[in-house]
Amino acid sequence: MRTKRSLQAAALIAAAVLLGLLTVQGTYALWSASASAAPGTVASASFDVALSAAPSGQVTNMTLANGQSANLAINPAATLSPGTSVYGGVAVTNNTNAGGTFNTTVTAGQPVMTNVSGGSLAQYVTVSAKAAATAAECSATGSYAPVGSAGLVSQPVAKGGSTVFCFQASLSPAAPTTVKGQAVNITLPLTARQLCGVPGGC
Amino acid sequence: MRNSTLIKGTAAIAVGAALLLGGGGTLANWNASATATPGTIVAGDLNVENTTAGVWKDRNNATINNIATYRVVPGDKLTFTQDLAVTLKGDKMAAEIDTTGISETSGFTATNVSVSEPELTVGGVDVLNPLVASAGTQTVTATITFEFLSTTGNRDDANKTYNFNNVGFTLTQVTQSGLS
Repeated sequence: MRTKRSLQAAALIAAAVLLGLLTVQGTYALWSASASAAPGTVASASFDVALSAAPSGQVTNMTLANGQSANLAINPAATLSPGTSVYGGVAVTNNTNAGGTFNTTVTAGQPVMTNVSGGSLAQYVTVSAKAAATAAECSATGSYAPVGSAGLVSQPVAKGGSTVFCFQASLSPAAPTTVKGQAVNITLPLTARQLCGVPGGC
Repeated sequence: MRNSTLIKGTAAIAVGAALLLGGGGTLANWNASATATPGTIVAGDLNVENTTAGVWKDRNNATINNIATYRVVPGDKLTFTQDLAVTLKGDKMAAEIDTTGISETSGFTATNVSVSEPELTVGGVDVLNPLVASAGTQTVTATITFEFLSTTGNRDDANKTYNFNNVGFTLTQVTQSGLS
């Protein structure tokens, strides 16, 4: 009968369609696109502080290539007599390769004096310091003062800028003749610190 | 006699009709024709392109001309912005823009830097996905900030590099009502 045949046909078609849908395993893909940006490489600066001593003329970076702190010898030319002083200085330069602002402040800490070869000279020697603009000012006697526990702090030193610390070593007028010919080593720590460049504070 | 004429006539017609029926000619039923012009279907478009170089700026919003020669110090905060040209055409077009994020190569100590994931904005406002079609290109801006933290002490992380490598962005069509 026609009705039965058409029903059969419809059933067959439905089955085929159903099968067809079930066997589709993959996902359908909508459009997509992509792009990329290359912001590049950000590199940090060096923290290079150059030191130059007067009168010795020695120059060094505050930090050596191996990360160790450098030692800078000042070596005043003259010798001390009771009541006299010798002078030396260190010029400190902010040698950074920073791209933006990089201000530093340099602090000279309290001196430590040690006698050479077991002498007793150290107790008769006093060390004073002052900040200056040039090493030439170091031999001028004015403005020297003992270094307090907080150290002697320089003015801010901008990128490429310099500051000078002058040192005066004086032998007490009361030094006995027994210290004649003795020597003393005087060491001072120098520390450079970056100043906060963030407007809102660091 | 009339009857025989009638009969003859009828016979003749019948024969004639029979002859017509038996003839080799075709029968023509009514027919007519027309044409339809469905027109032209045009596909839309979807694309995202990096067409202009990104720009680095410092904390004071000054442009850094060459990031390769700029050296950061603790306290530096740099911002990178990249415009992306987005093309979306289609009456049922909608797409989501996203970033695959940053896969950096860094020599910095992780706690001394703060780097944001790329933020996507349109006209200065956070992007609201999905984007829809527009006549011209739309501009989506990706922004990344790099901060060398001021809490970095000693000489930590001097002479180090942070390579951003490639930062990817994807634009993916999303299904809308009326699409299967």
